[in-house]
Amino acid sequence: MCLLWGHRKPRGHADEVKVDVVALIVILTVLVGLLTILVAGLLRSHADILRALHSLGAGVGDPTSSDDPGSVPISLSPSSPPLPGERNSVSVFDLSGSTPSGDAIALTVAGTNHLTLIAFLSSGCSSCAGIWQAMVRSLEDLPDTVRLVVATKGPEFESPPEVGKKAAGGKFPVVMSSEAWGDYEVPGAPFFVLVDGRRSRRIGEGIANTFPQVLDLVRRAQREVPDSADENQSRAFALGLDGPERESANDEELIRAGILPGDPSLYPKTNEDIYGEGKVPARSEGTA
Amino acid sequence: MALSAHGIAAQLPAGLEGRIFVRQQVGEEITRPVAQFATFPIPEGIGDFGGNTDVNLGPSDIFAVLFEYGPESVGRALFAEQGVPTGLTPEDFHPYVMRPGVGGTLGIQRFFTASGRPFTFYARLGSTQQKNALVAKVNQLLGNLNIQPLTSSSSDQPSVSPAS
Repeated sequence: MCLLWGHRKPRGHADEVKVDVVALIVILTVLVGLLTILVAGLLRSHADILRALHSLGAGVGDPTSSDDPGSVPISLSPSSPPLPGERNSVSVFDLSGSTPSGDAIALTVAGTNHLTLIAFLSSGCSSCAGIWQAMVRSLEDLPDTVRLVVATKGPEFESPPEVGKKAAGGKFPVVMSSEAWGDYEVPGAPFFVLVDGRRSRRIGEGIANTFPQVLDLVRRAQREVPDSADENQSRAFALGLDGPERESANDEELIRAGILPGDPSLYPKTNEDIYGEGKVPARSEGTA
Repeated sequence: MALSAHGIAAQLPAGLEGRIFVRQQVGEEITRPVAQFATFPIPEGIGDFGGNTDVNLGPSDIFAVLFEYGPESVGRALFAEQGVPTGLTPEDFHPYVMRPGVGGTLGIQRFFTASGRPFTFYARLGSTQQKNALVAKVNQLLGNLNIQPLTSSSSDQPSVSPAS
């Protein structure tokens, strides 16, 4: 083509320029067309991303996909364990789950008359191995007033036969429950929680790498448990309940003691009904 | 709390804990589902009916057992009662219905068939003084027991759920 153009006469120079301009216009038109398609594709992709974010609950504005009834907002917050300051380190939860042998088990932790030491262990962690062995061998080192319960994650995360092997010969219940790990916000194994059943609250929790360290934690926490003098106070008082909650707790206490609505002891007519026969305190004289 | 395994489901009244299990077979014996419920920590290694333990019931304690028998017992006169017993009264509990074990003052034992499965329900109370309240709790437990016909799927993974 260049050769052909080279052989043209000067008169045809204007024609050559015209052909060049036309070719340039065609090329530019094609380029603009391609860019338009590219931009349209990018805009469409952007809209798809916005719609997807909106359906995940992280959308901005009001995308047209808001009418999608199947969209379920989910939290995009990180799933890492809460920081120490964010943890709920007081509440207690009863434990329920399966056993390594595949049976069902449900254990009461709140509202009991003893302390419960919950050991969150794993069958795989190296630091847990020694603790499993020590618990099987030396459970009697734990004070009598403390009940040991081992909680592993559920069968979806732990191998029941492996857990069964670790706990073999141990005189403590093993609950396999991922829910318990979530309830107690366990940051990782090994982790220990000591619950005062009377007050239905945690009195200690933390990490220990050996069983003697656990025993030390328990003994120290035990010293802070109110002595039996508190038994004279109602459970509602101990829990700091008030109003209808306190009334309801007291009702439960009375029913548990066999005092049902209508019981004569609830309607004393004389001082002796209250204090007992011959035990009515003498009236003080000289007061208004 | 609720728990379920081996075709037995229970919604536990407040203060009760429990477990539903099948003991490991020894020799050629046939073991069947047992459910134990108590207001105190059930010791490891306790006998099916509360034996083999030093634990003694306190005045406000309950110990209850649901024990399944073999299919050969279905249709026998002893298991003629149909369905889980309900509406027990304090008069149904007697001092002489006691097995060696966790102590207590009054006991009850009922045999029945539910969903084609023969069972005995055995319970003992910690004190006579509180029997009204304790029997009410036993009735609450019985009212929330659900027994399914035994199928191959009944021995699948147990399911549990926390108190609502």
